Amino acid sequence: MYSELAYLIVGLPVLAFVLCLFFGWNLPRGGGFITVLATLGAFIISLGIFQEIYPGEIVHQSMHWFGEFNVGILIDPLSLVMLLMVSLVVTLIHIYGNGYMNGDPGAARYFAEAALFSAAMLGLVYADNLLQLFIFWELVGLCSYLLIGFWYRKPSAAAAAKKAFLTTRVGDVMFLAAIIILYNNLVNLNITLNPGEYLLQFPVIYAHIGQIPPDQLTLIALGLLGGAVGKSGQFPLHVWLPDAMEGPTTVSAMIHAATMVTAGVFLVARMFPLFYAAPHGLTAVAAVGAFTALFAATMGLTAFDIKRVLAFSTVSQLGFMMAGLGVGAAVGALAVGVSMFHLIGHSFFKALLFLCAGSVIHAVNTNDLREMGGVGRYMKWTMYTMLIGSLSLAGFPFFTGFYSKDEIIMIAYEYGVAINFLPYIFLILAATLTAIYTFRMWFSVFTGKERSNYGKHESPWVMLGPLVILAVFAFAFGMASQHAFYDYLDSNFDHYEVDFGELGIIGGHALVEEHGAAAQAGEHTAEAEESHALPIHIQILPYIVAIGGILIAALFYWDRIKRFEPDQVTGDNDPIRKMLLKGYYQHEIMTGWISEGIVYGTAILANIIDIKIVDGWLNWLSAWVMGFAGHVRKVQTGVVQNYVAALMLGIVVLVIAIAAIRLAMEVGLI
Amino acid sequence: MIPLELYILLASIMFTIGLYGLVTQKNGVKLMMCIELLLNSANINLVAFSAYQPNMNGQVFALFSIALAAAEAGVGFAILIALYRLYGTIDLDNISAMRW
Repeated sequence: MYSELAYLIVGLPVLAFVLCLFFGWNLPRGGGFITVLATLGAFIISLGIFQEIYPGEIVHQSMHWFGEFNVGILIDPLSLVMLLMVSLVVTLIHIYGNGYMNGDPGAARYFAEAALFSAAMLGLVYADNLLQLFIFWELVGLCSYLLIGFWYRKPSAAAAAKKAFLTTRVGDVMFLAAIIILYNNLVNLNITLNPGEYLLQFPVIYAHIGQIPPDQLTLIALGLLGGAVGKSGQFPLHVWLPDAMEGPTTVSAMIHAATMVTAGVFLVARMFPLFYAAPHGLTAVAAVGAFTALFAATMGLTAFDIKRVLAFSTVSQLGFMMAGLGVGAAVGALAVGVSMFHLIGHSFFKALLFLCAGSVIHAVNTNDLREMGGVGRYMKWTMYTMLIGSLSLAGFPFFTGFYSKDEIIMIAYEYGVAINFLPYIFLILAATLTAIYTFRMWFSVFTGKERSNYGKHESPWVMLGPLVILAVFAFAFGMASQHAFYDYLDSNFDHYEVDFGELGIIGGHALVEEHGAAAQAGEHTAEAEESHALPIHIQILPYIVAIGGILIAALFYWDRIKRFEPDQVTGDNDPIRKMLLKGYYQHEIMTGWISEGIVYGTAILANIIDIKIVDGWLNWLSAWVMGFAGHVRKVQTGVVQNYVAALMLGIVVLVIAIAAIRLAMEVGLI
Repeated sequence: MIPLELYILLASIMFTIGLYGLVTQKNGVKLMMCIELLLNSANINLVAFSAYQPNMNGQVFALFSIALAAAEAGVGFAILIALYRLYGTIDLDNISAMRW
């Protein structure tokens, strides 16, 4: 019954978008309750579908759109967990937003755009073909742009919105190119489609990956990865995500932490069989992910803006998810389960952390960690919920983040055994840094002395309620659902009869196939076997890095046990410190060299070519025409007599000519 | 009966005078008169040919042509009066506002 209502999952938020846009201005709080109700409705429908189809079924509805394309709904395990997570998290954030945006003159616009975003994101995750996914993909990008620039009168917000839009566009172009290449290849296969099947539908793509030439597969995989890198803020297209924190904190929580940025990871998970079959496809994913995880974590360590710390942390955690998918070359489809598990868990605790940060900012009115301190005395609820979120993010044992991150590190180790240890090393280091920067932030905000004079009040319950619910999820989700989740997600590609063994041979994974199969089997049968598979020091290392990282942070930032002054460990002129504070000189490189040097230089050159050559010959031509016309128009004297004379002359000439011809004919010349 | 050639000769002389006037004269009123000469030389031809043929078509046609000439003269003189008011002259050489 709920399956037939699946279209409403997108429909309700779209309706809320229209209502808020046109009537929100006259409603209390900008009509925020409409958006809340719409996404809540979407969540209830998703939950109903979950009950109906769990664990063994999928919902697939489709109708013809135009040409060779269709619109459709595909709810398999992968999209179902995303639907549940997205609708739940955005509902909670919208509830929170009712408190947070209270009194903002643009509240109606905010809720309209937020509703549109919810619709687009939900549509993205249950699209049944790549083209539809791409359309919703662009739509969430648009909403991200609109909401980052929500306070568009602020120049930094407008600039950040533009930056986000343009940077993600680089990825989107690659994504579109990948779709076109994939489509071409599928057309070349001359597939006979059954009625109701279309070329870009995921089941059709999955079924024919094996027949596409491997070099084309690599090209497609790299294009898709480009799109994912742009959307998920992976290196080198991560630069927009920290700047995106210019929007309201709810936007950061909703779009730039919990949901939209996970779209890139979701895309890779969705196309996982293709990545698996593409030679080097997953290697590229693993490399990008592992590098980003560490790279962003080091920057999170030095940021002073609480939201930027969380933004870098998001980039880093998305790197974890990417790496988790990438090491799937060794462990097969299990990687999808592990990575998606981290994605869902991360959405809960990162949304929680952002909302807590928003609650703090709401009270303290600054983003700067150096001006906070001691906030915990006034905001107990915020402090403890944020503590849960932080523990979860840091990977403290028995919190959600621990289970998911631990599992990614474990499969990275297996990848290390089979292929290459680099991702594992990067991820372990990144996990340590995660614990450090998370608790650096938490200690700086909530403990110690007040470092500036700020507002001292707890946030209203409309904001605290969602925090508490999210905190419950951030704590318990991992423990409650871990194995059920893996098993459910592992079954995702069974619905389409994807043969990973065969695809692995195309992708050159034949060597590690055996190992991956063993790991999968170990995962399915018993934990005892799993522990047998991995050495004990590898098993306990995640515990050590999490707790150790928290301790290190405490030694620097918790006033009760403080042993070190962070500023005194390194000299002021230490090059590494300066480099980290400057964020690896990215701004200098991106803006200074690339934007101003290369792009501006090219622009000047193009300008010269445009003016001298393109415009030049056109101007010359028009000048010549003008000059010529200046001579010719003298003929039009405007004196009637001249015209009459010319007329008569013409007649005389005609008469003479005719007479001459007749004469010639009579004589017989012609 | 007067031979047809004489009519045609008369018409030719009138036409040539009109044409000569049209090319040489600058005064607007004189130009109008020259145009009348051209039209009437054509009318003479029409009537003459009509008389030498057993039907009245040419003469009817000449009547149309006279009506047309009257209308043309009406419009023409109205333009000339307007020009005179505007420039204080009807010498067409001096009326050159729309010339290059």
